[in-house]
Amino acid sequence: MDNFELICPAGTPAALRAAVDAGADAVYLGFRDETNARNFPGLNFTRQDVADAVDYAHARKVEVYVAINTYPQAGNLGPWQKAVDDAARLKVDAVILADPGLLAYAAKRHPDLRLHLSVQASAANVEAIRLYRDAFGVRRVVLPRVLTVPEIAKLNAEVDVETEVFVFGGLCPMAEGRCSLSSYATGLSPNKQGVCSPATHVRYEQRGGALASTLGGFTINVFGEGEQAGYPTLCKGRFVAGGAPAYLFEEPTSLNAMDLLPELKAAGVHALKIEGRQRGKAYIGAVVRAYREALDSFAAGRPVPHIDLQAMVEGGTQTTGAYTRAWR
Amino acid sequence: MREPMREPAVAPTAIDDDRARRFEASLSRAGLGLVPRLGERVSDALLARLLRVLAERHPRAFEALREMQDACVLIEPVDAPVALMMRVGPELSLHARPRGAVGTGAAAADAVIRGPYARLLDLLEGRIDGDALFFRRELTISGDTALILALRNTLDGEDEMDLMADAASIAGPLARALPVLRRNAGPVLDRVEAARRLLPPPLRRGIERIGARIEARLTGTVPGTNPGAGA
Repeated sequence: MDNFELICPAGTPAALRAAVDAGADAVYLGFRDETNARNFPGLNFTRQDVADAVDYAHARKVEVYVAINTYPQAGNLGPWQKAVDDAARLKVDAVILADPGLLAYAAKRHPDLRLHLSVQASAANVEAIRLYRDAFGVRRVVLPRVLTVPEIAKLNAEVDVETEVFVFGGLCPMAEGRCSLSSYATGLSPNKQGVCSPATHVRYEQRGGALASTLGGFTINVFGEGEQAGYPTLCKGRFVAGGAPAYLFEEPTSLNAMDLLPELKAAGVHALKIEGRQRGKAYIGAVVRAYREALDSFAAGRPVPHIDLQAMVEGGTQTTGAYTRAWR
Repeated sequence: MREPMREPAVAPTAIDDDRARRFEASLSRAGLGLVPRLGERVSDALLARLLRVLAERHPRAFEALREMQDACVLIEPVDAPVALMMRVGPELSLHARPRGAVGTGAAAADAVIRGPYARLLDLLEGRIDGDALFFRRELTISGDTALILALRNTLDGEDEMDLMADAASIAGPLARALPVLRRNAGPVLDRVEAARRLLPPPLRRGIERIGARIEARLTGTVPGTNPGAGA
């Protein structure tokens, strides 16, 4: 049986080496600017870093993908087009794009450059995926994290484009690329500036034994003493509704679909993606190593081992997310 | 498609025994507790020298720290009497001061990171993921979140740092002794533990009390109070 491809994150050169050494088939990363959706302080790669990353990875038969997955701003296409040009010049194995205009530019200027469609494009139906394939030659689609496994299977049966799905890490429950919650609170957009809950607008306060997180001056959660904390994102905020505090969209939790490898294989999924370019190299090494072991066992027909990744997860809880969500 | 996973390379003098690592962390915590007792001038000079060593060994990270906007981060181990104030930007510097000393408290910092000493050491050396520590509430941060993130990401972008080896390198004989200590730490601790188990309980408890008093003298903490609890 063909193994899944394991696609792993890297926010720094050290994290890239950790991912490669731990067993990644490909590592995805971004340039150090607003052209990618993890435009966080101190994170990401200079052009020289990418050149070095490509050398390191290719020497070990590992591919490098560059995410250029924010939407160019009107009248300022330059940084995004230059990012595509530089990625092609640096001989990366694929670029991960979301904006149709940028896809058109890449397809025309760099016909040999492999194009992947970012989760930020939120392509969740057959017609949309066919359009990206026919218009721009997209070879792989990263599916949004809102589909069930049966929906993914149905989709794969109808299109001949590779699909990649998230299996571990931070769980965005929204239609990605179209979410404006963080923009509303901060004036900065995950889709344009690459910053969901920008750190410049996040503050943490100790309130006795409790920890309060605020975004743009709005209190979005208060974690009680001993309660595990989560990221300061509005989609996982806890708000008072009907007189009681509750999570309205999603709880602080991490995706972990390791137990669904047989179902995802049967559904025709080609590649599995680990989230977390913003995480440290210790996380990346541990999670990639665990998934490598699980995938190799699965491919060899052995039972998938239970590997404890509890120490790494947001909010102290794990979920299979929309893949098995009963209410859908 | 790549071949099955390989074990990551481990530096020959790296310490990989958990008990030995804990021992080393508590030793370095005691060492840090002594630094302010040397007086402000001497401790500042020592830490300036340590920063120079680190900058030579990790030029990429330290260049990035100097390129940051001028700001101060207070790194405060909750189980040690000493806090470190790191100034990033062109005037990059590091100062150790007794916790709560005038001019080095949270009020003087743009951001504060608090946690148990061993966890902070793991974090600075890139052995542990900062987000995971934060989720588990073992680490607290306050003030300028972007500054903390920039500092964390910059240091984490280096291949694993070895602060003990770097600190030892500014004290000649210790630098030569450290690899030997590390090679032998595991077996020696095994023997100490085995010997401790053989002692009659009253004697064992007495020795534990003396050990706690010595550690408290070295680190300036009160024995039996909250070592390692997250703030």
